[in-house]
Amino acid sequence: MKNMIKHGLAVVDSPYDESGKKRTVVQKLLLGLSPSQYLLQAFRNPFNWILAAIFAIGIPILLGRFVFGLAWATSGSNDYPWGLFLGFGLFAMVPLSSSGFQLGTACEIFGRHDLEPIERLALLNGLLGYFFAVVYLLADLGQPWRLPYPMVVSFGPAAVLFLVAWHVATYLSVQVAEVSTAFFEWIGFPAGKRGVRRITLGLTVSGIILSTLHQGALGALFTYAPGKVHPLWYSSSFQWLHFFVSSLPGGLCMVITVSTIAYKFMGWRTDRRFKEALDRCTVTLAKGACMGIATYITIKLIGIAHDNKWSYLDSGWGQWFMLEIIVGFMLPLVLMTYGVHTRKMGVIRLGAFATVFGVVLNRVNTAIITFNWKLPEREIPPWREVVISLTIFAIYIVVYRFILYRLPILYKWRQQEEEVTVTEAVTAPAAGHREASPVAVASYSKMTKLD
Amino acid sequence: MKRRNFLKACLIGGTTIAMGKTNKGWASGSFEGYPESMGVLVDTTRCIGCRSCEAACNKEQKLPEPDTSFDDKSVFEEPRRPTAKAYTVVNQYEKEKPGGPVYRKVQCNHCNEPACLTSCFVNAYTKTKEGAVIYNSKVCVGCRNCMIACPFNVPGYDYESVTNPVIKKCILCYDTRLKVGKPPACVDICPQEALTFGHRADLIKIAHERIRSNPDRYLDHVYGEKEVGGTSWLYLSGTEFDKIGFDPSLSNDPIISNVKDFLGMVPMVLSIWPALFSGIHLLSKHESGGEGHDTESKEEEP
Amino acid sequence: MSSYKHLIVAALSLGAISVFTPLAAQCAAVPDSVTLNQNGTLYKPFDFNHAKHIQQLKECAGCHHHTTGTLVLDPDCARCHQNSSPTAVVSCKGCHSAQPFSPETLAEKHADKQRYHKDKMGLKGAMHQNCIGCHQKEGAGPVGCQECHTRTEAGEAFNSSSRLGAKPAHAKKH
Repeated sequence: MKNMIKHGLAVVDSPYDESGKKRTVVQKLLLGLSPSQYLLQAFRNPFNWILAAIFAIGIPILLGRFVFGLAWATSGSNDYPWGLFLGFGLFAMVPLSSSGFQLGTACEIFGRHDLEPIERLALLNGLLGYFFAVVYLLADLGQPWRLPYPMVVSFGPAAVLFLVAWHVATYLSVQVAEVSTAFFEWIGFPAGKRGVRRITLGLTVSGIILSTLHQGALGALFTYAPGKVHPLWYSSSFQWLHFFVSSLPGGLCMVITVSTIAYKFMGWRTDRRFKEALDRCTVTLAKGACMGIATYITIKLIGIAHDNKWSYLDSGWGQWFMLEIIVGFMLPLVLMTYGVHTRKMGVIRLGAFATVFGVVLNRVNTAIITFNWKLPEREIPPWREVVISLTIFAIYIVVYRFILYRLPILYKWRQQEEEVTVTEAVTAPAAGHREASPVAVASYSKMTKLD
Repeated sequence: MKRRNFLKACLIGGTTIAMGKTNKGWASGSFEGYPESMGVLVDTTRCIGCRSCEAACNKEQKLPEPDTSFDDKSVFEEPRRPTAKAYTVVNQYEKEKPGGPVYRKVQCNHCNEPACLTSCFVNAYTKTKEGAVIYNSKVCVGCRNCMIACPFNVPGYDYESVTNPVIKKCILCYDTRLKVGKPPACVDICPQEALTFGHRADLIKIAHERIRSNPDRYLDHVYGEKEVGGTSWLYLSGTEFDKIGFDPSLSNDPIISNVKDFLGMVPMVLSIWPALFSGIHLLSKHESGGEGHDTESKEEEP
Repeated sequence: MSSYKHLIVAALSLGAISVFTPLAAQCAAVPDSVTLNQNGTLYKPFDFNHAKHIQQLKECAGCHHHTTGTLVLDPDCARCHQNSSPTAVVSCKGCHSAQPFSPETLAEKHADKQRYHKDKMGLKGAMHQNCIGCHQKEGAGPVGCQECHTRTEAGEAFNSSSRLGAKPAHAKKH
């Protein structure tokens, strides 16, 4: 794509093409390319080949899970009822998706409009993370078609999972509404966008409530198993706080991670506003994440001190715990603090990757690795379970990329009427990209990285 | 004068906090089961490991044919747990000890305050007044949260089934026997009367009476009398409980009392957050923009 | 229909042991052989060699506790029954109920708050514990089910004996 733009193809960033004609939806979907051009750029991208390989193996196995049942696809263990689908898919995806409500709050509630260039990415990151957490859940549920039961058929309001179900469901709709403004712009339906903007404050506040509650609720789910989760990962009083607080840096660092990837591999899709703001926004996010991590480490220590669990640190589990805390939280805290002070973006980003790793490791540790620590045998997920988890994650990446390519997430949509009124938006077009001479697309021999 | 007022205020505040605490303590774990609850007392010193109870359960609950015959003693090589195909299993412990092997029957203990029940988001579980913890498999979604929650690792999941996998576990033969006052099938068949059926309250007395009259035979503990808020199945043992597969670390509080901290916070967040954040929003606007409503209309623009 | 119900009924057909008075017991009207489990459905009836046990044990009270003229031996029972005379019945079923957990029995037990002997064993349990308990203690005599009574066809089906030799579930994993 980068090369195509270099050689004269325009990027779709407004409802009209160069000649001033209104673009059709198909044109928008094909990124303004002809079908053959589109396929060509897709084939030239080595990453697509990796994805194709994953799907070739993974999709049949994913379908097989619904044809042959859970026993075929997963370990089907009674002692470890929650495997990779929930331990990784649900419990790790959700904290990494807390970005939506955090930046929503910062921009809409606290009035931090300087973060707006990255707000939509954070909202989308939240929406997709939640959506795919639900996809993982559907793969894991014995009877996924009964998923609406807690909403319509039979209520168990005293159960934490009941709260999770309701909160995730309502929060998903909130996030769909929040992200829909970008979609309405893209599809050309300003009335819908105006309608959503009008209720933004309500949506954002309900987003905070729902997020606080169910990020915490996911942690509280483990308070049902006080003897099964290892004491270092368990605290009956603070479990929900641990999950909630660690989700804050998790979500922020996920946005740093995704924006870094987008900047590196999707530069053509970003506009000047995004590029110029990215470093500044990253620093701000990193500051927020540092606060979150510091708080998290503190309450984690309080949790250990509260139940006097120090002696557990002097064991194999204790070393594993220290690894998680040091590599996943303390190291990133140091890296990001240093990076923020010296404005070294690479260091900040490295710290953000480490945080994402730390949060994921914490969730997998709680749900799978240290779960049932008293039982003699550890459960190692069978290969089909691993393949399905990978496949769903690959679908997540594809959908994420599909939307970033098209919707005005990383760039501003140029509306004609806005070009007159809003001055900032006019500065957006990335004119610099169009200077290269127009050469036929097929003749490029040096196209190595086509995104 | 001022200082006295301050002290007074402190006192009032302190009392409120103390009262709040008292209330909370009083609210948790006070339920001791239905008064007419039935139960089973398992005397592990009587069990000879004949596995008749497993066979009886299999036939009564119309479970699939077992992997191997109920005569097969090789199953004792490794401890087993209840599954969707076997609601009860007998395990062998202390094989090398001079007292001979000790056997222990495992099945749902039918807690007074069941963790499975409180963790179920479709309310599939019911604790009947007879003491049985039964479930409605027609609403089971298959989230398997009850398996996570059960402190005894009892519920089994029917992973093999493609179209209708549900949770399965011992229901104390509620449908076919308990409802009409009859003992469960395992109790009926036990040749040694290692299983005693009766009112839970009577069984506790009987258990302590057995301990009193045979102090050398039994440890002075009735497992299940207090564990996780009490269970309908009670156990006597002559061997340390942790050596025969029991978890001695379980608290006497029901599992739900671990979750109450969080559940209590939910309504607070629901009620405080909207006001708090809307307020912050209004405040931040005045700081940044200046003129209230005008700023707001400006911000409405994309 | 649960066939093991019949087993209980059957086990109680120990009632085959006739009811003796203590006096009669002391006289020579003691049977040499008793057929137990006469109506069993899962297990066949079998002959109990009474004479052999008398020869080996000598002491009737070893089995027939506090029924045959011997004073109570258990110190806990002796607290109250030091001077109690032997009971009128010798057979197990004279005291031990065939239906220890029937709704009626339980309700009666539950209602009678003053009742002391709440823990009287049922007939089947009393018999098996008496036999197996002694055999284990003496290290002699059968302790397995089929060493005393062989199974009927229904019993074989009940125990899913056809699947004997199939691998148990846990063995498959390894």
